[in-house]
Amino acid sequence: MLKSIARGFVVAAACGAVSAAHADEWGSIKGRFVFGGDAPSAAELKADKDVEVCGKHKLVAEELVVGADKGIANVVVYVRDKGVKVNPELASAAAGQKPELDNKDCRFEPHVQFVQTGQELVIKNSDSVGHNSNVATVKNPPSNNLIPSGGQTTVKFSSDEAIPAQVTCNIHPWMKAWLVVRPNPYAAVSKADGSFEIKGVPAGEVELQFWHEKAGYIGEMTIGGKAEKAAKGRKKVAVAAAGTDLGEIVLAPGVFQK
Amino acid sequence: MSLNPSMNTNVASPSSFRFSFSVAVLGLLLAATGCGRTPPAYFRLNMVEATKQRLSPDQERQVATILLAMFGTPDEPVALPETGLDLAKLKLAAGPVRSDIAGRKNGLYREHCSHCHGITGDAMGPTAAFLNPYPRDYRPGVFKFKSTERSDKPTHDDLVRILHNGIPGTSMPSFALLSDVQIDALAEYVKYLSIRGETELALMRAYFELDDDAEGKLPETQEFLVAETLVPVAEKWQAAADARIAVPEMPAGLDLATSIAKGKELFYGDKANCVKCHGPTGLGDGQANDYDDWNKAIVEIGKEVQSGLAKAGETSTSGMSADEVAEHRAQLAWLDRFGDVLEGDALRPRTIPPRNLRHGIYRGGRRPLDLYYRIHAGINGAPMPAAKGTVPPEDIWHIVNYVLSLPYEFDGELGADRTLVAQGR
Repeated sequence: MLKSIARGFVVAAACGAVSAAHADEWGSIKGRFVFGGDAPSAAELKADKDVEVCGKHKLVAEELVVGADKGIANVVVYVRDKGVKVNPELASAAAGQKPELDNKDCRFEPHVQFVQTGQELVIKNSDSVGHNSNVATVKNPPSNNLIPSGGQTTVKFSSDEAIPAQVTCNIHPWMKAWLVVRPNPYAAVSKADGSFEIKGVPAGEVELQFWHEKAGYIGEMTIGGKAEKAAKGRKKVAVAAAGTDLGEIVLAPGVFQK
Repeated sequence: MSLNPSMNTNVASPSSFRFSFSVAVLGLLLAATGCGRTPPAYFRLNMVEATKQRLSPDQERQVATILLAMFGTPDEPVALPETGLDLAKLKLAAGPVRSDIAGRKNGLYREHCSHCHGITGDAMGPTAAFLNPYPRDYRPGVFKFKSTERSDKPTHDDLVRILHNGIPGTSMPSFALLSDVQIDALAEYVKYLSIRGETELALMRAYFELDDDAEGKLPETQEFLVAETLVPVAEKWQAAADARIAVPEMPAGLDLATSIAKGKELFYGDKANCVKCHGPTGLGDGQANDYDDWNKAIVEIGKEVQSGLAKAGETSTSGMSADEVAEHRAQLAWLDRFGDVLEGDALRPRTIPPRNLRHGIYRGGRRPLDLYYRIHAGINGAPMPAAKGTVPPEDIWHIVNYVLSLPYEFDGELGADRTLVAQGR
């Protein structure tokens, strides 16, 4: 017991002066990703397997989803700092949650899912045809289970992943999803309107990591009208207890032409 | 004979000059190394991963140095205790082909395996490009035919079995004529190359995760290199023996014809869904454009390089700042280099067809038990998914029986599909 307290103390100290100084202050980080050009139209996908079921749905490529208001969906943002202090409320909330990935309408829902280490991911199949979900994790054991119509499988993650892991269906090769596996609750995936929010981050300075399926690590962005470089897609931000709003984060079309 | 053509222009044409010059160089080399002595062998760096991770020459050197310290050379292997490997066995397999003082054959890997699997176990041996399927690249640590769950390593016995039986339908021959001691040593050496290769991958991938104050250098500490990098790789191999799939007995008193009929229903049914890839005729023609993990990695990098070059072709440097021009040039150089690396360090990717089940050729072994493993756990590295958890063990046995009956199924039983079967034969 004493030992574990001592260890906890060492970890807290190692997190740096930042979290120690604002021991119990937590703020959120939010912003909205905006496409800095004309919204591209998504390519249509051809369902050549299980056509009688999958052919009914209008399937489009989801590697870059830009909404009517130019919001970019599926941009991943997470706090990179390994020893970041975790808000106890968020930690206990996460323990009871089971994130889901559904095989629905011959695509994955959601396209990008966030899972915390220790959590179980439930992969479901709401379609009337069978699927398989090939989870290509690097640090966690990869898996590829058959999931019949109405069935489900669970995948547990004991380690975080350095880059988001791809999930594919070998029966329906156009299907693709991504899993963001992080050791703490501080990750977000931008919504259809491009907005994201990471809640309950310890006040002080943290390093954010930006990633997108098509762009990879996002090295250039315009925040509040100012063009900024983010080497390796990393950027330090100050988190205020009142919350930090990065506002509109504009990503130029060139960022996605990799 | 003069080495200087200008002194003797009438006799020495430029080509004979080159010839005599190369003879002279060869002579020098022989004098330096001694006739008949094999030059020392070296492990090749995983250049595809190094380039993908954009490692600098200094970082490549660091990886090579760390690997040299941890694993030695192809002639002098090193096995840290954490690997769980038996150095005596490795020494029997490593090095050039020779006899030791007791008359025992040494250098078994070089004699029997390296032509295809390469000195490094990177499946880039001189014959590799001519084989279909390509030989296994041990470095990602992924093996297909085993008695363990999909993501687990094969057991030592699994590797011994493959060496003993070979892999029917591929270029992998049986080494049944080697002694048990020799096969055992080779299995150990395959594990050594695989642990080395996976450690190399982990090291190369670790650069990206470094904090800025590390200045692009991996910490050369016991904790990072051994506890955080080597141990997680080696532990999986040590855990394999306990990760064997528990296979229930085939249901007793079962009528084979009934079992085959049930298996057929499952084969075409939505739960097991075998038909989707292996095709309605079982000829393996249901899914033709998928890749295995090894080939898929190269395909994806190839796409990135191509689209990168296309983008670079459209980009004009006019109006760029000096920094941007430098960045643009660095990106072009990287793409160029990657093109070269793919040419020299990777084979042209090939799709993986689902197995034609009417040939009666079973790569991972033809025992009913082998087929049970394949269906239960799927095939690691290949698109074949695992049926476990979805298909109950008894039903897996029915599918095994049906699949084993397919090569002998009377064409007429296929009804409308019989012409297809005829074409496929």
